[in-house]
Amino acid sequence: MTNLSRRDLLAATALVIVSETVARAGVVSGQLPWHPDAGSPPEAVRPGAWQFFTEQEAAAVEALADRIIPPDPQTPGGKDAGCAVFIDRQLAGAYGHRQGLYTRGPFVKGIKEQGPQSAQNPAETYRAALAALDRYCKSKEGGKSWIELPGERQDELLHAVESGTVELEGIDTKSFFETLLKDMQEGFFADPIYGGNRDMCAWKMIGFPGARYDYRDWVGRHNERYPYPPVSIAGRPDWTPKKT
Amino acid sequence: MREALRKRAAALAAGAAALALALPLLAANHPGSRENFAIIERGRYLTVAADCAACHTDPHQSTAFAGGRPIETPFGVVLAANITPDRDTGIGGWTDRQFDTAVRQGKLPDGKRLYPAMPYPYYTKMSREDVLAIRAYLNTLPPVHNDVDSNQLPFPFNIRSAMWLWDALYFSPGSFKADPAQSDIWNRGAYLVEGPGHCGACHTPKTFLGGDKTRLQFQGYSIQGWFAPNITNDEAHGLGRWSNADVAEYMKKGHNRIAGASGPMGEEVADSSSQMTEADLNAIATYLKARSGQTLAASSVAVNDPMMVAGAAIYQDLCSACHRGDGHGVPYLIPDLATSSTAASREPTTLIRVVLRGAQTVATKDEPTGPAMPSFGWQLTDAQVAAVATYIRNSWGHAGPVLTEDEVRKARGNLAARND
Ligand code: HEC
Ligand code: HEC
Ligand code: HEC
Repeated sequence: MTNLSRRDLLAATALVIVSETVARAGVVSGQLPWHPDAGSPPEAVRPGAWQFFTEQEAAAVEALADRIIPPDPQTPGGKDAGCAVFIDRQLAGAYGHRQGLYTRGPFVKGIKEQGPQSAQNPAETYRAALAALDRYCKSKEGGKSWIELPGERQDELLHAVESGTVELEGIDTKSFFETLLKDMQEGFFADPIYGGNRDMCAWKMIGFPGARYDYRDWVGRHNERYPYPPVSIAGRPDWTPKKT
Repeated sequence: MREALRKRAAALAAGAAALALALPLLAANHPGSRENFAIIERGRYLTVAADCAACHTDPHQSTAFAGGRPIETPFGVVLAANITPDRDTGIGGWTDRQFDTAVRQGKLPDGKRLYPAMPYPYYTKMSREDVLAIRAYLNTLPPVHNDVDSNQLPFPFNIRSAMWLWDALYFSPGSFKADPAQSDIWNRGAYLVEGPGHCGACHTPKTFLGGDKTRLQFQGYSIQGWFAPNITNDEAHGLGRWSNADVAEYMKKGHNRIAGASGPMGEEVADSSSQMTEADLNAIATYLKARSGQTLAASSVAVNDPMMVAGAAIYQDLCSACHRGDGHGVPYLIPDLATSSTAASREPTTLIRVVLRGAQTVATKDEPTGPAMPSFGWQLTDAQVAAVATYIRNSWGHAGPVLTEDEVRKARGNLAARND
């Protein structure tokens, strides 16, 4: 104990604190813990008015949805499937406000793997980008706003945005388009309780059977059609007894 | 449950320590110390078989047998008494006769009557020697000072003297009389089931005053938000499709190829039957399987009934992964709904409860997993729960009435008031 330095003392104290903490870690023995009504059920979106978008923004996003996922005779397009509702609720919620993420500076443009480095959160980005899109159209498309353009012209413009030949003023245009495309796809394919994929239309289109528990009976049955219809977290229409 | 088990272990350890301390004293006072030890050990076993700890040990306290646990009755709550040998607040100052009178006659030393929340109407079937052996064991426990005011009942049930009327109506005192026409093993089973096991306290239907409907003995009753099913040999609603070995295994391990014990029966298995001897469990099985029940004729609901159609869809999507399409589940892990008396019973308490709230089976030394069923109350509406329950009680040979949305709504309300 003659030569105990300050540093050794600190290290030793740290060790004691660490082992204290480790020793206090809970040990489960006997039966696993259990609580009645256990589980953290997902929260279904509430239908009704827009929660983030203004009427104008919503109309623009719905038009975007139908260009990115156009309707066909079997399947509704992005608008009818509810993609704009999905994005609206996402932007009003945790995603829109980057809840749980590090959001302070420095804001330096990073490499792709470093993810978004913007001072704006997705909600702010959408608002700014939709406004910039309308400004762009008004100045370049004869005073028309985005939703007033004919469909083919909208497609051309979106291709240009995607390839980077059109820059929206003050917006990282290419990366916004990537975000938009991803959010549309998520809205189209996510469980209907989140606002999109109305009546599981996207799942019916690709033959995905939904939030089912178990496929063990089918693992070995090749080249056979899976007979059960898709099921959402909220169930499917057949779950509700028909009134007699 | 884990806590309860741990406390039990602590209590046993404490009991053993007290025993070790007490032995020299006993040896000094009584010449036949070996005999005393045998009595105390017998008393310990009977205390387990009679599950005195179920009520007299408060799972939230660390002191065994010191009382205070609230016991639900149809009229309100009665707190179990302190039965440690404490002179002031326990039974330390009681004579053997006073103890015997309390346990087998439901009367206190001052002549007042106990509430039948204390199962003396069953313990009356025990022999005096067995009750005094229990006393001898309890005497070896450390005395705990804990003043319990048992009577928490609302007016007019809080009037103890009114209990003479109850006793007159429903209490038939008298110890068990063996039936010479039956085998020894049957008689041992009858003694354990009707006496110390007090199985009827939960499994026998009750009158509105909480007395046993003796004609319907062991044919099923709802307690503490659970349904304790028919445990006679009834083919449709009881143990008819269980073998003797199935019954004994369930009591020993809390699990068998058909069912898993949960709720009050989980506690009963953990604290009592899992610690009983194989011979005694076989005796219990022999007796129960020899009891005939009355099979009520029922007609099943048509498969194209809208409730059945919706129920089949829900079962396929949510339940069949575990309980399998044919309802047979997985032996020792997932109950066999096709054979389950919970499913077959006309009483839907457990059926609705388990679906709404989920449930966990008991973990025992032999079956330590204690599998649990997830809760579906957040996912299914009342009408959907009614539909899937109707489907289960009308499939695989079961026949039960349609369950209504209203019944489920009520059950959901009742469950909301319970924290278990
Ligand atoms: C189902 C619950 C339950 C079980 C099992 C049970 N008791 Fe009790 N016991 C009670 C309740 C409740 C009271 C208080 C009743 C009252 O005050 O009217 C009580 C009271 C007593 C009393 C009277 C004590 C006093 O000071 O008032 C004795 C003695 C007793 N029990 C012994 C036993 C023994 C021995 C066993 C096991 C063989 C046992 N009990 C099992 C619930 C139970
Ligand atoms: C505290 C109340 C209580 C006591 C005492 C009790 N039981 Fe039970 N018992 C229940 C409940 C509740 C169930 C249903 C458990 C479940 O659904 O998991 C049950 C289930 C059972 C089953 C399984 C029935 C089936 O078809 O699934 C058997 C067998 C059984 N009890 C036997 C006994 C015997 C024998 C005794 C006496 C030694 C006894 N029980 C004492 C409450 C009790
Ligand atoms: C993850 C597996 C799993 C799923 C899915 C599941 N269960 Fe269960 N179920 C269990 C287990 C394990 C038990 C035993 C739990 C207990 O009794 O405490 C059980 C018990 C039951 C019981 C009580 C059986 C008895 O004899 O006491 C019923 C009734 C039941 N389940 C119905 C359902 C219904 C209806 C569904 C679908 C809505 C369902 N289960 C989905 C695992 C599952």
